[in-house]
Parts: sequence; structure tokens; C-alpha cells
Amino acid sequence: MRMGHTTTAEAGSGGLTATEHRLANGLRVVLSEDHLTPVAAVCLWYDVGSRHEVKGRTGLAHLFEHLMFQGSAQVKGNGHFELVQGAGGSLNGTTSFERTNYFETMPAHQLELALWLEADRMGSLLAALDDESMENQRDVVKNERRQRYDNVPYGTAFEKLTALAYPEGHPYHHTPIGSMADLDAATLEDARQFFRTYYAPNNAVLSVVGDIDPARTLAWIERYFGSIEAHDGKPAPRDGSLPEVIGEQLREVVVEEVPARALMAAYRLPEDGTRASDAADLALTVLGGGESSRLYNRLVRRDRTAVAAGFGLLRLAGAPSLGWLDVKTSGDVEVPVIEAAIDDELARFAAEGPTPEEMERAQAQLEREWLDRLGTVAGRADELCRYAVLFGDPQLALTAVQRVLEVTADEVKAVAQARLRPDNRAVLVYEPKSPETVEDAEVPEDPESEATVEAAAGRDENEETAK
Amino acid sequence: MTEQLATMQFHPRPEAGEARPWAFPAPERSTLGNGLTVLRCHRPGQQVVAVEVLLDAPLDAEPAGLDGVATIMARAFTEGTDRDSAEEYAAELERAGATLDAHADHPGVRISLEVPASRLAKGLGLLADALRAPAFAESEIERLVRNRLDEIPHETANPARRAAKELSRQLFPATARMSRPRQGTEDTVEKIDAAAVRGFYDRHVRPATATVVVVGDLTGIDLDTLLGETLGAWTGTPGESRPVPPVTADDTGRVVVVDRPGAVQTQLLIGRVGSDRHDRVWAAQVLGTYCLGGTLTSRLDRVLREEKGYTYGVRAFGQVLRSAPDGTGASMLAISGSVDTPNTGPALDDLWTVLRTLKAGGLTDAERDVAVQNLVGVAPLKYETAAAVASTLADQVEQYLPDDYQATLYQRLADTGTVEATAAVVAAFPEDRMVTVLVGDAAQIAEPVRALGIGEVTVVTAE
Repeated sequence: MRMGHTTTAEAGSGGLTATEHRLANGLRVVLSEDHLTPVAAVCLWYDVGSRHEVKGRTGLAHLFEHLMFQGSAQVKGNGHFELVQGAGGSLNGTTSFERTNYFETMPAHQLELALWLEADRMGSLLAALDDESMENQRDVVKNERRQRYDNVPYGTAFEKLTALAYPEGHPYHHTPIGSMADLDAATLEDARQFFRTYYAPNNAVLSVVGDIDPARTLAWIERYFGSIEAHDGKPAPRDGSLPEVIGEQLREVVVEEVPARALMAAYRLPEDGTRASDAADLALTVLGGGESSRLYNRLVRRDRTAVAAGFGLLRLAGAPSLGWLDVKTSGDVEVPVIEAAIDDELARFAAEGPTPEEMERAQAQLEREWLDRLGTVAGRADELCRYAVLFGDPQLALTAVQRVLEVTADEVKAVAQARLRPDNRAVLVYEPKSPETVEDAEVPEDPESEATVEAAAGRDENEETAK
Repeated sequence: MTEQLATMQFHPRPEAGEARPWAFPAPERSTLGNGLTVLRCHRPGQQVVAVEVLLDAPLDAEPAGLDGVATIMARAFTEGTDRDSAEEYAAELERAGATLDAHADHPGVRISLEVPASRLAKGLGLLADALRAPAFAESEIERLVRNRLDEIPHETANPARRAAKELSRQLFPATARMSRPRQGTEDTVEKIDAAAVRGFYDRHVRPATATVVVVGDLTGIDLDTLLGETLGAWTGTPGESRPVPPVTADDTGRVVVVDRPGAVQTQLLIGRVGSDRHDRVWAAQVLGTYCLGGTLTSRLDRVLREEKGYTYGVRAFGQVLRSAPDGTGASMLAISGSVDTPNTGPALDDLWTVLRTLKAGGLTDAERDVAVQNLVGVAPLKYETAAAVASTLADQVEQYLPDDYQATLYQRLADTGTVEATAAVVAAFPEDRMVTVLVGDAAQIAEPVRALGIGEVTVVTAE
């Protein structure tokens, strides 16, 4: 085992530090100590996501993620969940375009158990994987798809816009949930082959954050993961690079049973990890990041043509990121009215750039988001893995906020000029199928009934979860 | 058929190390000169401070025919003050990296501010302005009312929310505020204007009946001075305590299908009303409910998800609706989830079998042990952030519970045996006294459900 280097706390990292290590089998390890609360987070990122899937097998990475909770050589059936929860821990796994992650947050004295469990499935999943769990989890995932996408209004908007924004054949053309037909077609042998190809110590990063003894933690990691054999032969994902702008406005109109007209759009933006992507993040925040943003003020407050209006950024490292616009119209307002106002605001912003006050607000909002993300051991562990897997350097997680604060108004203006243009977007318009007025409609209540279903809470739209 | 074992070296499952003690934090109480109750709690390292304000403005205090006025008032707090216009106020909040959410529920109005510790003074100043001198400008109220009316069809189209609305309508008498949507109906919301909002504020919002909870890393912060200069400047008349109306509910076993033609899944919500946290049985009920449907290894998901694959997940839970100091409050006890349309009948059949089996055979000691270990063990994880601690402290105040309630709940959970947990969960979810709401395709699901004999089935046409 080679010991890695330690960096000292840098400005903007909030005093956090992380050390890096690598086992002989190629497993990269990141450790970060924090003794304020007796908890420890374990996070394991495998460098495989839906972008690695092939035609006819969309959804396989996510279905496979579910199978990782069905037992391994020394863990029976649902033992992974039972043991972690019985130890007072919480856990989950998620799949996105670019990676699959698995995580446990444990009371600090139960950390070793989580490491043992992760190692067991990394090294011996195929000893337990059988037809029964394959058939069962196929049905569970299909019900996940129905619950989160097919059975809710606008539920498939993300899938439709992604398919518009990335051309046919592009690795990001389809989303992680996959199609029903492909989920039906996946075989046990597909799952086995997927494991043999992508689940290897040299294709993963393990981070452990919290109330830990680094030397002892590293010894446990060596003990449990050290003997798992490295293997190569992972094919590189298909190239995700695309021209900077789409070059035309792509458009799809969907007539469906939805409660109101909606205008959604995806703008092609710079790849994550670049200074230009931070500038784009600030631009979208000024334009649509909150209740003092330009689009909210214009559409919701002044014109009163929209119920809600906002911009979000889907950061991607292996393909252009997407700037995500979502507007639900008010009353009988027609989509062209909204569209004209948006074009007007975007053109003005591209011409003038942000005001100093807008820059200050946007940077304060993004700084706050980073404080939230790094404020829990689980959030920190995930970010360390993210920067290690996608950009090769976990330390970048601790200085990310600093980079956002260094971006200038001119850079924000420049990215808006270059990218936030009508010829660089895919547009999705929803028109209600039966626009009769809703009579005696009442407000449903009790959002808590949804929040108690752990599966439904707080997941990004582009992620699937096992639980 | 399994593959040959990989070549890794296996080790026995490790034993736990020595636990470091952790306790739910005890807040410090004080009162400002204007009568505002203050709870504070220093949490080292929590750089985002959480501030929760509770206002004694419950939904049953809304004037007849104006359901939703508490919601519009809550939203209007952030739409301008005597210092800032609505747009300026939103801008000032964001400049401080702060978020401020307000919502109205049965026990009262809750306002949650989260702000980096370095900008706490600014955040508290804005919060105080909102409470002390809200503008309630006519044009802003009119906009909020229209916006609220626009939201209603979106909520009606959401199966989970539609089910929750129907369950409340079924359980409570039509005269009870709890039978009606928390945020009002189209009929009531459209009648709300600035005068109604101002009237509700004048009658029910005052520091003497309010509480503020402040949690976070307070190192180097003179909180007394800060609070004195901000929330301390809020004035109002002394408050009077208002009786909490008793809650009655009709949980006669029955099934209501809300028709959603073509739905690929059926949203199910099966519920009834139980007592609140003052009940001595609460801890045992929490434990038993976890065993029934707390996670994917609980009894319901073990069958419905992990054996049959009918669902992505079904959960059982208990959630306090409103408490009273004398313990006469109520909670919603429910099972919720969604199952695919063709398997709706079989899934409900299995669900009832799980309940009957539980009643007949009880929980096992192993189930009880795992549940206790989880519920008690996750506490330090669950309360890592200031916001989580502040929210629970505020819940305790809102529910007339002592400040050490959560801390002692963990001890009670650990002391609860298998027999008690079984008795509590069987009493909480009796197979013949629950109202089942199904939002789904009636043409496909009504007959199979009728055949189960779990109660009379009626079909409600979708709006």
C-alpha cells in the first residue's frame, strides 16, 4: 500500500482536509477526519453509469445497482440492508449518467461493518446473484419507473428533453431509468457480464469521512478490499463530446393529460469541472435560481403569466452540461407569451451581463449550497468521490466554492452570450389534452406521506435509487 | 445457479467497536421582554444556523369560508415589509445566502430560516421585519391568491396528494377543519384578500404566543444582543390561550376508489386516527410500526416488494396532526405506497394477510431488537444538521411536550419489549377499522378489490 499525500486546509475549504491512498489492486481511497459527531460516512463510487450502456440494454446500470443489495458470498438475501440498519446506519445507492454510488452512514463504532459489506459485494457478488433476485428486482425497478415517471404529470419530461438535447446514438441520449422494453429484455447473463466488466477495485473510489482513526480505517480497508483482484477490459464509454452549440432550436410538443401548459427547455452548456461551467451556474442562478431571479420577477411577479419559473444546472463531465428551464403557465396563458418573455430576458442578460448586486446574490446562494453539501459527513464523502472519479483529484471538492467565488461578471456574461441562445436549446411544450376547467378542485395535503417513503425523498431527477 | 467464488480472501463479519456516547441536545430556554419564548442550542461545526419560529395561528382559527388564509399569510411574510418591497426582500435574503420558508398547518404557522452563521444578524433582521411589519400589500396578496389557485390543479393531478386529500375528507366530519385541505379550496382561496390576511395576522400573530428556536454553531455570536435588536423589537398584545377542539374520526373499514382512468399504478393510502405523543404507548407504537413498514426489510416490503415485486416500496407511519396539553390530540396512522394496476387486488390481499399474520403471531424478538438498534442508533446521523435539531425542538414545543422528550424517547424505545410493540402496532392498524383510499383505474381495480371483502367499495369520479 502506498500512502498518499495530505494537503493542508486551504481557504474556502472550511478547515476540512482529506488524504489520498491507493491499494495495490488500484482501489483509490480518500479519508477525511471530523470528530464533532460520532458518525462516519462510507461512500463508494464506481466509474460506470448509464452512458456505458449499449443499445437495447438501457437501464441496466441501475437495475444492476438494485442487484447489489441482493446478497453476496457472505451476505444472505437482504442482509446488506438488515445489517446496516441493525447497526443504526442508513444506506442507499443511486445511478446517474456518469457513475453509480453506494453509501452508508454509520455510528462511528460500526464503520468496520460497512467496509466489510462493501468489500464482500465488490469481490463476490456473483456468488449470490441468481434468477430469483433478477426477476424480483426487474419488477421492482419497473414499478419505480411507473411511480416516479409514468404515473405522474410531466413525469417523462426529463427523459424526453434528454432525448432531444443529445442526438440518437449519443451516450447521454437515454436516462438511467431505461425503457420498459429494455428492462424486460435484460438477462441474468447481462447482469453478470456487467459486473465482470465494471465492478473492480481499479474502477472505484472509496471515501470515508467522519469520526475515524485514519490509520486504523486504512488497515481495515486493506484487510477487506486488498485481496479483491483488479481487472481491466472495461471499454471506454462512447465519446460524449458535441459541438458547443446545437445550431438550431429543437422542439417537441406533447399533448397529454397534464394540469397546465408548460414550457421546458434544455440549453447546451460547458462541461463540469471547467471555469466556464461555474460561470454558467452563476448565470442560471441570476436568471432563474430563486425568488429574486430575473425570470421569477418577470414571469411570476410582474407579468403574472407563470405559476413557477426557474433554471437549474445538470452538471455533466463527459458531455455538455444542461441548463434546465421549467415554467408552468398560469391560467389560460399561451406558451408563446412565455417564450417571448424568456427570449427577451435572456437577450438582455447576454447583452448587459449581471449587475454587481446580482453577482453577489448568486455567489452567496451557491456558497450556501456548498455549505449545505459539505455540512454532513455523507455529503462530504460523496463530493470527495465525485471529484476523484470525474476529475482525478478529490481535493478539488474542498476548494470548489472558492472557484465559484472567483468567477467574474464578464465571464458570466460571456457564457450567456455564447450559450443561452434560442439556437442552442431543445424545447419541450406541454399542452393539456382536455383543457376543461377543473371544478371543485381541492388542495391535496399531507406531503409527509410522500416524504416517509424514503425512495421518494430528495433525489435528483437524473438519479435512480435502490431504496 | 451461481458462479464460482471469486478469489478474494474472506474474513468473518466484524464486531462493533466501542460506542461513543451521544445524546439528543438539551436546549436552553429564555424569554424576551416582548414575551417571545426562546430556545437555543449550540452545535459546534454547524455553519448553517437554523431558526424556527412557531406562531399560535392554527388552521381551525381561520374564519369560516376562508380556508387558506393562514397559508396566504405565511407566504406573504416574505413578500415585503416596512423596509423592503417584495422583490427587495427576496433579494436581501438571497444576498445573505439565506432561505426562508413559511407554511401553515393544523397546529399553527411555522417559519424556517436557514442562514450561514456569519450572516445570522442579517437573517434575523429580515425574519424580524417579516413578523413585525409585514406589508401585506394588496397587489402582492392578489398575486399570491392567483398563484395558489393555479397550484391546485397540479396537486389534484398528483396521485399521492389526491389520496391524502380524499382520506382526510373520509375520516373527519365535514364541519371539522381537518376534513378540508390545509391550503384551502378554489372556493375559499378566491375569497381571500389583503384585509382578510391582515385581520388574521392582527388576531393571531404576536410575540407573547410565539416561540423561536435557534440552533447552530454560535461560537462568537452574542445571541441575546442579536435577538434583542431583531425579534425583540416585535411588539404585540398579550395572548390568550384558545381551547384545542377535540378530534373525532370515522374509521369504519371501507374502500374508496378515486378514479384515474388509464393509470399504470394504483396509489394506496390506508389510514385511521390515533392518539398523539402524550400517549404512553407512543414509543411501542413507533417500534411496532417500524417493524410493520419502516423500511424495505420490514414486513410489508418483505412481501410486497422483495418477494412479489408489486411495488417500489410501501411504508407505514404515524404522524401527529395536532396535539393538546391534556393529551387529547390526534395523529394519522397510515400505510402508503403505489402498486402496479394489474396487481392491485393481489397486493391488497397480501397486505391484509401481513396485518392478520402480525395480529395472530406477533413480532419476533429478533425483529424488535433490530428495530430498536436502528431507531436508537440512527439518532446521531439523523440529528447531524442544525436544521434537523431545530425542527424536532420546534415540534416538541408545538406538541406541548417537554424539551427532553426526544432524549427520553430513545430510552423508552430501548426499554420496550416485543409484546408491547406487538400490542401497539396491532392496535394501531386493525384490519377492520381502516379507511382505504385507492387512486387508480377504477375499471380495472374496483372488482378485484371488492372480491377481497375488506369493506364496502365506492368509486369517486376524478375531478
